[in-house]
Amino acid sequence: MLEAERIKFWSVRSTPWSLLALVVVGAGFTTLTCWANAEWLAGADAGDPPTAYITFGIQLAQIAAIVLGGLTITAEHGTGLARATYTAVPRRGRVLAAKAAVLAGVLFVAGTFTALLGYLGGNHFLALHGIAVAWDAPDLQRALFGSGLYLAVLGLFTFAVGLIVRHTAAALTLVLGVIVLVGNLAYALPGGWGEWVAKLMPGNAGGTIATPVGFDPAALGPWTGFGVFCAQTAALLGVGWWLALRRDA
Amino acid sequence: MITAQALTKRYGDRVAVDGIDFTVRPGIVTGFLGPNGAGKSTTLRMVVGLDRPTSGSVLVNGRRYAAAPAPLREVGALLEARALHPGRSARDHLRWLAASNGIPTMRVGEVLEQVGLDGVAGQRVGRFSLGMGQRLGIAAALLGDPPVVVLDEPVNGLDPEGIRWVRHLARDLAAEGRTVLVSSHLMSEMALTADHLIVIGRGRILADCSMRDFIDEHAPAYVRVRSPRAGEVTAVLADLGLDFEPDPDDPAAVRVLDADAATIGDELHDARLPVHELRPVESSLEEAFMTLTADAVEYAADAPRPRGRTLVGVPA
Repeated sequence: MLEAERIKFWSVRSTPWSLLALVVVGAGFTTLTCWANAEWLAGADAGDPPTAYITFGIQLAQIAAIVLGGLTITAEHGTGLARATYTAVPRRGRVLAAKAAVLAGVLFVAGTFTALLGYLGGNHFLALHGIAVAWDAPDLQRALFGSGLYLAVLGLFTFAVGLIVRHTAAALTLVLGVIVLVGNLAYALPGGWGEWVAKLMPGNAGGTIATPVGFDPAALGPWTGFGVFCAQTAALLGVGWWLALRRDA
Repeated sequence: MITAQALTKRYGDRVAVDGIDFTVRPGIVTGFLGPNGAGKSTTLRMVVGLDRPTSGSVLVNGRRYAAAPAPLREVGALLEARALHPGRSARDHLRWLAASNGIPTMRVGEVLEQVGLDGVAGQRVGRFSLGMGQRLGIAAALLGDPPVVVLDEPVNGLDPEGIRWVRHLARDLAAEGRTVLVSSHLMSEMALTADHLIVIGRGRILADCSMRDFIDEHAPAYVRVRSPRAGEVTAVLADLGLDFEPDPDDPAAVRVLDADAATIGDELHDARLPVHELRPVESSLEEAFMTLTADAVEYAADAPRPRGRTLVGVPA
């Protein structure tokens, strides 16, 4: 079953394109951000530590992960392929598990690779200004692998939403809206409760694992935040799973 | 062998399939007929586990489809030809299907050749014509070399050569001892393909019998007699005690149901009546089907609007 879903995953053009976009945009944006901010970061009045920028591109790469995660399941329902899939493998749980495994595996590798590439590119410019982030700097390696983890779970998060709404545009809009837009707007909410809402937004909580040091000092710790994100994803997957087993294809 | 018992599917208030029982036997081609909305597709979807029966059951080779470890090796089904991703090549589509059921990859090449798509196997299926998509769907159904084959509207979009090909394929599969269930709206095609018929209307079984019995029962053969002196002809036929009825299409003709052309011709000759036509008529499956399903049509076309009123261009 894993093999079948692996063939499916790689035999449509959206996969290589999304992954290429993920790597190029992710690593490129990190490099670009570091290049643009290196001089300021090296200055005396810098407000942020250089490490805060070293995985910055993941902010954009996550869009590709969302698209890929969503398409993995909504393409099935959008094209009618689901009928062929569920006819071939009536145990739908196995289909979903195989899909999720292939998706998460590929996104983890692509995310980690992108973060690593971004580190090499961005660090080059930081080094020019004498503020290179050492390979063994605190939390750096955790953030690089964390980028892979974050994108993998983000892919699953969108996958779960796609499983529930069964519609590409709806799933992508919902997740992009929640992760990118609402996630950032939530910081504008007033008071202590607003701060908590912002912290617990899936993208904000999950993203903590992907940066050595975040911009938001109030954010959850990396593993706590990632744990919250995993729990949210698991809950959505549970709902999607439950629905998939009961709905007509 | 496919066995349905009290199979029922409801969508909200609407009963799509209403407690039907039937058995599809191996070695023959069974035709599955019914007007649009009769419950055919829903029934076939339940056979392969895509829809869950509201109640009742349908078993394939004695067990639920979903209980088979490698269902594509048990049942090959063409339900909707477009159940595929347009961006994937025909070969890749069959490759993942094969992988999902542990079918050797060499089968992919074999079935592509069998359906005549080996030349375009690498093309993305979004570019396929309706007929090519249909062939790919049939290739997918044959992939696991299954003992049971279900083909829903297999000749849709096929050219005459393709239609012939499907007919021979269905008959060959049955001759190999497989269970073959075919649905189609094309009555003439079905008459050539199927040995046995299951007819469904408004979610219920209307008929389950051999093709011959079905036609004989619902549209018996007759002899058409046309004469310029039809009144006298009917008098002679009545005197002979024959069973006949007026031909609805022609006031000068009658249909004689229980005598052969020779007998009728001789009698009318003896009565010195002119006969312009004396023709045995074999009924078609289509007529039998229309007779049977006349009141079971879910979505009949609207009756023509009464003439005489202007419906367009009415001044405001």
